[in-house]
Amino acid sequence: MKRRGEASGPVALLWLGPALILIAGVVVYPAVELVKASLSRYSITGLRKGDAGLENFRGVLANESLGTVLTNTLVWVVAVVVLTILISLGVAQFLTKDFWGRRVVRWAVIVPWAASLVITARLFSLIYSYYYGTLNALLLKLHVISTPIDFLGDDRWIMPSMVAVGVFVSIPFTAYVFVAGLHAIPSDVYEAARIDGASPWKVWRLITLPLLRPAVLVATVLNMIYVFNSFPIIYTLNESNPGFGHDTTITFMYKLAFKSAEKDVGQSAAAGLFNVLLILVAVVVYLRVSRWREEEQS
Amino acid sequence: MRTTTSGHTAALRWGVLALGAGLGLAACSGGTGAGSAGGGGNSGKKATTIKLVAAEYSKDHTKAFWDKFATDYKAKTGNTLEVQIVSWDDIDQQSSTMVQNNNPPDILNLNAYASYAKDGLLYSADDVLSSSVKSDLLDAFVKSGTYNGKMYGMPDLSSARAMFYNKALFKKAGIAAPPKTWAEFEQDATKVAGLGDGSIGYGLPLGPEESQGEFSIWMFNNGGDWKKDGKWTINSPENVETLTFLKSLATKKLTQNNPGKTNRQDAFDLFASGKVGMVVGFSPLAATLDGAKKVDYGVAPMPTKADGGEPQTFGVTDYLMAFKKTGNQDAVKAFYDLYYQKDQVNTFIKAEGFLPVTKSGIEQFKSDTKLATYLETLPNAHLTPTDDPTWDKVKLAVQQNLGTAVTGDPKAVLDKLQKSAEAGS
Repeated sequence: MKRRGEASGPVALLWLGPALILIAGVVVYPAVELVKASLSRYSITGLRKGDAGLENFRGVLANESLGTVLTNTLVWVVAVVVLTILISLGVAQFLTKDFWGRRVVRWAVIVPWAASLVITARLFSLIYSYYYGTLNALLLKLHVISTPIDFLGDDRWIMPSMVAVGVFVSIPFTAYVFVAGLHAIPSDVYEAARIDGASPWKVWRLITLPLLRPAVLVATVLNMIYVFNSFPIIYTLNESNPGFGHDTTITFMYKLAFKSAEKDVGQSAAAGLFNVLLILVAVVVYLRVSRWREEEQS
Repeated sequence: MRTTTSGHTAALRWGVLALGAGLGLAACSGGTGAGSAGGGGNSGKKATTIKLVAAEYSKDHTKAFWDKFATDYKAKTGNTLEVQIVSWDDIDQQSSTMVQNNNPPDILNLNAYASYAKDGLLYSADDVLSSSVKSDLLDAFVKSGTYNGKMYGMPDLSSARAMFYNKALFKKAGIAAPPKTWAEFEQDATKVAGLGDGSIGYGLPLGPEESQGEFSIWMFNNGGDWKKDGKWTINSPENVETLTFLKSLATKKLTQNNPGKTNRQDAFDLFASGKVGMVVGFSPLAATLDGAKKVDYGVAPMPTKADGGEPQTFGVTDYLMAFKKTGNQDAVKAFYDLYYQKDQVNTFIKAEGFLPVTKSGIEQFKSDTKLATYLETLPNAHLTPTDDPTWDKVKLAVQQNLGTAVTGDPKAVLDKLQKSAEAGS
């Protein structure tokens, strides 16, 4: 029952070959190594000392900072993704309007995306600096505050400061996904709405938003993954803070291997597996919930 | 229709899963940059290429020195030396990954060695150090490089700390001489802080970069230590008193903002900006200050807790350790022979602005009056217990926890560290 044009097994394999090799090398091999590492006992030097069974997983779960780290991760991902989506919706609307200099603005929006995250994070650690930071200088000049704020040292400010940078670097990609989504909406539905006398707010809520839904869905899922896995921003901005007080699960994993008193590659690998599971569950749950709503609406 | 839709969704989901997994994994598999070192391989065969992984002390000098050294090494022995320079931020990760992949370098430059010796990975000095070289090393560093009766950690350079003070601020505050006791120190810090205009009495770095160093020099000047007679004494009454004193400086606003979250480099930068009265520094800071010519500073021995006490200095040395690999012993020995020649080791140390590790080096550096304060104290310098593998973990625990004492309870922090040290040994 072979359909016409369908390639035979070996030929198909030939076409798929490069992709499969890439997946095997970039995804499968590291995954196997990660699982192996998580089941091994390592010396502080990195020397493998034998099998550990599930000891590493128990170690991670017993870590007294785990609760803090998970809470931080949740706050970080939810805050950055929600703010990014909301702001990007506005930015995308703006970028689709026709105005003088739009090309320049579009380029400007894309810059934070093109810059390396480490450089951006470093730049922000200078902007936020207590003694030399431009942000404090500005706020003091404008008399918004009377004493400088320790953005990266004051426990109340560290997370909001990091979230702001996270949003800043996530907007370009998200906004461009929305720009593409807006362009895909046919103009005749807007015309029809205008003829029917719908207010701009109504048009946006009842036409733009529902038709933009696939774009929002994709942007949310990809942002969740990017933001969850974001390392440089948190690691760099959080550099001078001792302990795990402001780490997410990703920087927690890194510190377990190289910076904390555990200094244990095995535990770090176990934490890495937990991380993969965590983000997969989060994404699947999100997709479930959003599809369930779709069915309810129809 | 139905099947195609769900097929698409399934594909999307698998795509997302794969992407998530890939990103997650990429995050932890970074930095396996180690190429295969030519040393290992066929048994019985002598290695003609060895690999050095060295820490980057400075952008300008480290790579230049080792590249030149590799040329000299080639000329002298006919062997090739591959040089890989790694920043201090990454070297722990890189070295750990190399060992994990069973692909260590032949020579590794790091600030710790005992854990590697404990794991049986290293040559001892008996195997690779000529006796003339070993007898030239300063006793304090031979001692700190010796684990379980054998020397494994060959010192590459050293540093010693002293109190840097801003002469202009001292003059303005009416302070005639640098403080000799903690009481005087606190008075002077209060006076400087009282000058206003953003003046800071003392730059106190208890952030994770190197809080063990800052705490060390203060505890040594209060008769405390990390270990005494083979037992951990992290929460000894002297040490609790020392940390409480440091915390009180912060509480009384004599330090910069948030000292528990200030790294050493940040404190140095503040001192270099001319705002800070005093900071514990070392010779590389002096080089920076001399280069910038902005701050008129003096260097004095540390104040002691006791009246008329003998000032103690905190010494640090880093190590060049040699990994046991088949056939590389002779090439490694030739490496050390060349490195410890006066014109090599001392050239490196001078360029980087550090202090010598050999007796002949001290003779050679003596003519430099700027280094006099350090050189006198160097042979008696107090070091951290780098000869104990447990210290390698304790050090990390200290870095990640000490700063919390500034807002928390110093005794509780030290009790916890003591407990983890005892559990680790």
